[in-house]
Amino acid sequence: MKQQTGNRIMFKEFGALIGFSIVFLSFAFYVPRSFLSVENLGSMVTMAAQLGIMAVGISFLMISGEFDLSVGSVYAFSPMILALLVAQGVPPVIAFLIALIFAAIIGFSNGLITLKMRIPSFITTLGMMMLIRGIILAITGGFPITYKSQSPMDLIPLLNDRFGQTNFRASAIWFLLLVIVFAFIMDRTRYGNWVLATGGDKETAGALGVNWRKTKWINFILCSVLAGFSGIVNMGRFLTIEADLGEGMELEAIAAAVIGGNLLSGGYGSIVGTLIGTSLIGMVRSGLVLAGAPVFWYRAFIGVILIIAVIINMRVQRAVME
Amino acid sequence: MKEEKENLLVKMENISKSFGKVGAIQKVDFKVNRQEIVGLLGDNGAGKTTLIKILVGIHSPDQGVIYFDGEKVSFSSPKDARAKGIETVYQDLALVELMSILRNFFLGRELIKDGWPRALDMKQMDGICSRVLSDIGVHVRSTGEPVSHLSGGERQSISIARAIHFGAKLLILDEPTAALSIKESNKVLDYMREVRDRGLSVIFISHNVHHVFSVADRFTILERGEKLGDFNKEEVSAEQVSRMIATGKLI
Repeated sequence: MKQQTGNRIMFKEFGALIGFSIVFLSFAFYVPRSFLSVENLGSMVTMAAQLGIMAVGISFLMISGEFDLSVGSVYAFSPMILALLVAQGVPPVIAFLIALIFAAIIGFSNGLITLKMRIPSFITTLGMMMLIRGIILAITGGFPITYKSQSPMDLIPLLNDRFGQTNFRASAIWFLLLVIVFAFIMDRTRYGNWVLATGGDKETAGALGVNWRKTKWINFILCSVLAGFSGIVNMGRFLTIEADLGEGMELEAIAAAVIGGNLLSGGYGSIVGTLIGTSLIGMVRSGLVLAGAPVFWYRAFIGVILIIAVIINMRVQRAVME
Repeated sequence: MKEEKENLLVKMENISKSFGKVGAIQKVDFKVNRQEIVGLLGDNGAGKTTLIKILVGIHSPDQGVIYFDGEKVSFSSPKDARAKGIETVYQDLALVELMSILRNFFLGRELIKDGWPRALDMKQMDGICSRVLSDIGVHVRSTGEPVSHLSGGERQSISIARAIHFGAKLLILDEPTAALSIKESNKVLDYMREVRDRGLSVIFISHNVHHVFSVADRFTILERGEKLGDFNKEEVSAEQVSRMIATGKLI
């Protein structure tokens, strides 16, 4: 949303857009031929989409003032449930729904513990992250699980099908749809207004009749379900789940949301910003590979970008606020 | 007798409330007439805020009955109280700083367009918000501006304008002038008179006797959870009221 401050026009996604442009131009300058190819664009989008579906949920929850560190575990847990059910002969569509219900139950529990016991969600979901990961390890014994379906009508691989011979996949469509839907909900619906108010100042929101507990609770569930969905989409591509799949991804999703201009303490943010933030991370990942940098540099690079983006974002926010 | 009853907007009878072993409010009677500004006074911890929280349904009283607008009520939340026309402007719980004036104005009562998807009607809300604000004499550059840009007085006036617009019968202002400059305080006091002239009643909670004295028609003074007394403006001077609050004794 545009906000007029004096003569300058600042918008929430300003910092993310600057960061994106700088990194884009650097790669375009350094490895122009491979970076500016359709092939690379496809793999960038695919990498961004996977993380992005999760980051949309994280952003919603973060704007309402809470965290979820268990999304990385749910990212592996939901598809694992799906694969196990399908192996038992359950139709994939039913198994898909049950897997999402499991994710919803995890989100519901995060909300229950955080809101009823008044524990910071950072702690609740840290515990949940370990608990779910432990369950995954116990069930799989640490071995990968492979998705096999006898069903002739299997939709799961289609969830992340490749478009022809390109690197573009269906995940990008899910991501874009979710961004459009949730950006609309955030900016143009009552519920979005309540989410902003809940994260901005829950006592005031409550005094004005907004049920902030319910709002947070819904967002916990939403966040977990999107993490589960993201995991299932990922399985649609690889048809296998490693026991450590998604470890560290919760932090990457939070980084994407923060780079996108979402305030860590809640009350301020943008889903379009999250789109830019995840795209930036996807771009760095594939760009570094093209530039021939060793893979381990990826995390270091994201770390630097995160810090720079937050510095820019804080300045933008201050300019908007004062 | 009947006439008096019809003129009454709020009547709280024999209200008591304790938190654990501490009796916060003991056997307090409190009333507000229609089109009247009542100053609710008392030192810190006298029970002013607790009494109001009982009235609007944040706390339920251990004892006593509440009548509002002619009927017996027991609100279970401020939302219920709002639905009946009781609007509270808390000192620092009025507006969400990070959000725009417009979004704050309609928070919890957003207008939506007809049909699907049920989108916010930003245009209509903007029109109403701008009109209501300029009606009571508040001028803002744009309703899209975040509240954090505004001064304390502007914030109070937006809360007051909001209350008027949403058809409140009773406006409760908790320390509305506490954080304001003299000039801004005077403006807010003017708004209170304006509100009364439009037919609303106001409960003005404050420490500042001089602010209360200049606008209120009547005063209720609380002292350590009990009522010290009710006074019409003609019966007392500002100095006497100050002394009663300071000493906790009737004069």
